[in-house]
Amino acid sequence: MLKKGIAWVYTCIIFTFLYAPIAVLMLMSFNESQYNSLPFQFSTRWYNELANNQTLIDSSLTSIYVAAITALFCVILATMLMLWIVQTKSPLKKWIDSLIILPLTIPWLILGLSILLLLNLLNWDKNFYILLVGHIIISLPYTVMVIKARLQSLDFSINEASASLGANEWTTFRKITFPLLFPAMLAGGFLAFVISFDNFILSYFLIPSGQSTLPIEIYSSIKFGFTPEINAVSTVLLAGTTIIIIFIVTVMKASLKFLFK
Amino acid sequence: MNKKWWLVSPPVFLLISFCVIPLFIMVYYSFLSDGTTGHLTLQNYLNFFQKGFYLKLTWKTISTSLLVTIICILIGFPMAYIMAKVINSGKNIILIAIIIPFWTSQLVRAYSWQNLLRDGGILEIILRKLHIIGPEPLGILFTQTAVIIALIHIFFPYMVITIYMSLEKMDTSLIEASKSLNAGPFTTFWRIILPLSKPGIISGSILVFVPSLGVFVEPRILGGTEGSVIGTVIEDQFFEIYGWNFGAAVAFILLMIVFISTTVLSKFAKEEV
Amino acid sequence: MKKKSLGLALLFILLVVSAIGCSSSSTTTDKDGKKELIVVNWKDYGSDDPEVIKEFEEKYKVKVTHQYMASEEELLTKLRTGGVGKIDVILPNASILPIAIEENLIEEIDSTKLSNYKNIFEQFKNLPENSKNNKIYAVPWVWGSTGIAYNSEDIKEEVNSVNILWDEKYKGKIAFRDDFNDAVMTAALALGQNPNSPTNLNEIKSKLIDQKQLNRTYWKTGDEFSKLFAGKQISVGLMWSGQAAAMKKNGEPITYVIPKEGAIGWVDNWAIVKDSKNQDLALKFIDFMLSSKFQENWVNSGGPNPVNTEVTKNLDPEFVQQMGINEETIAKLHFISYHSDAEKKTWNEMWQEVKAK
Repeated sequence: MLKKGIAWVYTCIIFTFLYAPIAVLMLMSFNESQYNSLPFQFSTRWYNELANNQTLIDSSLTSIYVAAITALFCVILATMLMLWIVQTKSPLKKWIDSLIILPLTIPWLILGLSILLLLNLLNWDKNFYILLVGHIIISLPYTVMVIKARLQSLDFSINEASASLGANEWTTFRKITFPLLFPAMLAGGFLAFVISFDNFILSYFLIPSGQSTLPIEIYSSIKFGFTPEINAVSTVLLAGTTIIIIFIVTVMKASLKFLFK
Repeated sequence: MNKKWWLVSPPVFLLISFCVIPLFIMVYYSFLSDGTTGHLTLQNYLNFFQKGFYLKLTWKTISTSLLVTIICILIGFPMAYIMAKVINSGKNIILIAIIIPFWTSQLVRAYSWQNLLRDGGILEIILRKLHIIGPEPLGILFTQTAVIIALIHIFFPYMVITIYMSLEKMDTSLIEASKSLNAGPFTTFWRIILPLSKPGIISGSILVFVPSLGVFVEPRILGGTEGSVIGTVIEDQFFEIYGWNFGAAVAFILLMIVFISTTVLSKFAKEEV
Repeated sequence: MKKKSLGLALLFILLVVSAIGCSSSSTTTDKDGKKELIVVNWKDYGSDDPEVIKEFEEKYKVKVTHQYMASEEELLTKLRTGGVGKIDVILPNASILPIAIEENLIEEIDSTKLSNYKNIFEQFKNLPENSKNNKIYAVPWVWGSTGIAYNSEDIKEEVNSVNILWDEKYKGKIAFRDDFNDAVMTAALALGQNPNSPTNLNEIKSKLIDQKQLNRTYWKTGDEFSKLFAGKQISVGLMWSGQAAAMKKNGEPITYVIPKEGAIGWVDNWAIVKDSKNQDLALKFIDFMLSSKFQENWVNSGGPNPVNTEVTKNLDPEFVQQMGINEETIAKLHFISYHSDAEKKTWNEMWQEVKAK
């Protein structure tokens, strides 16, 4: 009992640390002062301004769009890779394994600048597809980790049984592997979404001129005048996400258990 | 053996053409004197090693990242252990709550820290109300401490989640067995829990250490006059002046540091398990 | 469980589709045979305000399309790699103009065809980077300066020298700028060297190292400065004229001065790209941008200083005085001139060394 008490106290301390800056940014979104000055004066001014700030809304939508496509591709690619990895006896397996985790061991700064140099060498313009590819590459290892963990715990004899009963591979995948793997795919996609959504460094190098994702918009508005509208948009996104997550959790309570296993 | 290549080739193609090849191009640029047109030269590397201050910044970057990693392990391990072994309910809620801060941009969080940590800011007001500090200013903002706090905040979730994943897989009966053999909690921790969670700690360390080496926003916003790190040097070469070749050389040196440290770490993970 | 999985998959697809829908709806498609003028500028920088540009579009039956640049280098690259013949109007500054003229990337401009050219401050007509062999290639549009801004509640003495940034009295209250160009030029001003071609870099380096320990911090972005200023973390620093004006408008006790040693100035210029198919329209566009109506509107909504002398008559005299929109003050500015890559690299490296000390 004492052990549990200490555990909860510790958890509370950690969460105070984790949420302190978040609380401050939410608080400042309701503060009248443009420069976050104290004393605090309640106002919804920044939310009104946000509603009229088309650039900020557009860039948030671009971020969601990029993150959603990244997540979708990461899930598909990671599933393909993992289905191959778990069954293969190819001598290349080891190499491919290390290739997949390579992006984890390269700081984003370096990855961003080296892709920029590739474009420069080929004389290509920065474009949206390259940005997407970059996001997919940095998020893929995380999705792979989640799906791999799930796949390793699966029993492949079911697949063999299914095959021996005459089901073709596609049917086996559709009827057996996919439903078993689905929660992990969802979790992996979620992780990829989050990583892509928050990414600033890579986008900073690869964003085509005139376009912007939310982090880029924030960085450029820091250059030309950062108002608490940014805090307001962050607060709205946080609230939105929390609601979506609560929704997912309630809909899918049973299968959520292996979300992170 | 050669069946189902269609499964593996698209992701492999993507990774090779947009991750491996660009790195080689970076190395190529780092040996050029000027843009794409210059001649081959070692000048960029010589310049880096001849100027003492670049080495100083490199060391500062490495030591900061190391410190961030170590603190993340020290505070992250108990959290992961609590989630995996102590509490029975609410694990998923805690996990999700750890991930939620990701939804706010790193940049916005850095500014939030500025609000919190500055002299006369929110933390100072709270601490003074609690009589923890006297009337003197807090003096944390624009020091290395502020940068380290912000970096821990950003990378902490990676550490907790990886350690949690390894602890979760661990068989609780091993701990019970150790206890029933009259081993003290310390012995149990040292002989059973720590060795078994080592893979998680190592991969968590990689996930924290590697990106910390490449940050440039937080040092700039929170580090004050001491805010220069290798990341800011590289950023300047690419965004302030047309110094891509030197920038590529510095990036390659940073990459070598990363590879050496990850190799050492994974060697360490393999032995005596 | 199967049903739930299916539902979630549907939900996810729905999310993706709606996100795609949202972002694709923002692209415009109007091609109704109108002429198109392609302009490259910074984002949200005066000319791309739809309200403003509508007047020009209706008057000349033309569609103005904006492309954006993220840096001057990018603009130069755009011109070199296929921009010539496609883009009509660009906004270069001194850092790339001499190269663009040298490489024959921009057209000569006949200033007699610009009805507002005569109203431009004389000093801006004579910028060395804008012309070659007495031929004009670029027309000044807006400008600003980097001087000293201070908190008039904290600092009661008269501030008129750049040396306040080296004043021990204000130790820990100063914010210098984290920018190699501003750093070198400011130190040169303090030392009495020519800011655009300093002769003794070692002297500048030790001057900057002396300055370093007096700082609260180096600021990189204008926003950082305003937050630190409003939060009472700093009392004095290097600052842009435009941002200081905006802060004053917001009620901050900020005073902006051009020090007696002089200050750094910058100018943005319009130029017409070589082989543009719409040269007449391009000239009309530039003329529109120089008109007192446009210039007055923009400066009143927080834009940079106008080059059109007519505008100053309609502006708040106090604002004009503070921003130094008069010949006398403009004469004190050292406009950032063209520097070779090698020179920039040297300055940058020296600045890195100062910061690493």
